[in-house]
Amino acid sequence: MSLSWAWLFLLLATFPWLLGVDLLSDAMAASGVCLFISGAAIIAPCRRLRRWQAVLFSGCVGFLFESLRPIPDGSVALLLVFVAIYLTSHRDAIRDLPKMFAAAVVVNALACSAWFIAAGLAHTKEVPLVSLHFLGQWLLHLLLATILAVLLLVPLTLVQNFAMDRIGVPQPDEAV
Amino acid sequence: MDNNRQGAKASYVALVFFIGLWLILPSAVRRFNREAFAEFQAPALHLVGKGRDLARYWELKSRSPEELAAASRDLARINAALELKLHSLDDARKENIRLREMLRYPQSTEFVTVVARVSIRETSSWWQRIVIRKGRSDGVRPGCPVVFGDRVIGRVSTVHLTTSEVDLVTSPGFRCTAFLEGDEQYHVVHVSGRAGLSLSAPRALVSIIPLEYNPPAGQIAKVMTTGLGGVFPSGLTLGTLEAGVQSTAEKHMQTGALTPAKELNFIQEVSVLIPKYPTAGEILLTPADKPEEFR
Repeated sequence: MSLSWAWLFLLLATFPWLLGVDLLSDAMAASGVCLFISGAAIIAPCRRLRRWQAVLFSGCVGFLFESLRPIPDGSVALLLVFVAIYLTSHRDAIRDLPKMFAAAVVVNALACSAWFIAAGLAHTKEVPLVSLHFLGQWLLHLLLATILAVLLLVPLTLVQNFAMDRIGVPQPDEAV
Repeated sequence: MDNNRQGAKASYVALVFFIGLWLILPSAVRRFNREAFAEFQAPALHLVGKGRDLARYWELKSRSPEELAAASRDLARINAALELKLHSLDDARKENIRLREMLRYPQSTEFVTVVARVSIRETSSWWQRIVIRKGRSDGVRPGCPVVFGDRVIGRVSTVHLTTSEVDLVTSPGFRCTAFLEGDEQYHVVHVSGRAGLSLSAPRALVSIIPLEYNPPAGQIAKVMTTGLGGVFPSGLTLGTLEAGVQSTAEKHMQTGALTPAKELNFIQEVSVLIPKYPTAGEILLTPADKPEEFR
């Protein structure tokens, strides 16, 4: 299997997880919260994929989230691409599991904030950006994003690592 | 390591260049990108929807024959009553057509109904929407009203090849004019979705209610479509006006909250009303090089 397409196969392996979280959001639709895992989904691939592959993978994960939601184009995808570049040039930051947990929480929270604020900018007349109401909603989504990142990082990483092993992606220490 | 850092710097520069390019790109490119990723997910959404249908099928199949016989008997009775009603409505329709012709009154919009199953629901502080399993290939167009029986569910916001996104009545993007039950002067009020609601039941906002309006005593006032915008047929129920209508700060109008007519977050099936002929808005927005069907 060609390594150039590793990012695409990995995306296919990750997609059921993204869909699963969407279904979880669907089940909680009455509560009006959107669950989000796209940020945590790029951590394991950034350990092993080459930079350009990680960038493509992260961009696609971001665009997949944006495509069915009224979020300004590119707000999540471009942020995830930036994070992918950062993580692939600082692989020490995601070397072991505790560091991966920290990175997953930070990246998921950051990406969640990006879409929440970007989408909220369209409604500043009804909910001003600097208001307790906005802050409360934001913190609620942030809290759920961090909890979900902690809960799902291990199973998600296991699946992604399994897929990368099958494709033949080199182990973290060998990746450049 | 130096090579790695240098490569990272080059990547950052490329990203900045790409962001700049992304901002100045024509919106058609961004739309195409969004469409491509939506289509990528469409088969999975269909699969999810079909899985739900299958689960429902097996659930129904597990019912006892007595239960099914009772349901079938009830349906036969309802059918008989509806057939009678249909017959009387047919007479009224013919009379209506004759009177309209006599008065040369403009024809009201005619709709084709397309029934669609719900694939997935999407809610957050900033949107409340559903994805349905009917799209462009079934004739669904952006702006088409979405109903369940005589109750308004929302409006189609985006159409893909085999799926469509529907903004619910409570979604901030939804706007509609309405009449209030009990208002004998038929003042037009405005219904719009509300942003920033989480962990609470979704509601819409009813604004420009006249100060002299009093809800009918002892009952909940229904909010119904006017049919004025040409999008929704008239007389459909948007929801009910909650008690506690308040005056605006300027004290010249009132506003209130609308509870949707249908429990929107548990809905499984909807009907999309597709206008038989393009509406005035669609004709105005159609580019000059579009095919003849829109002219």
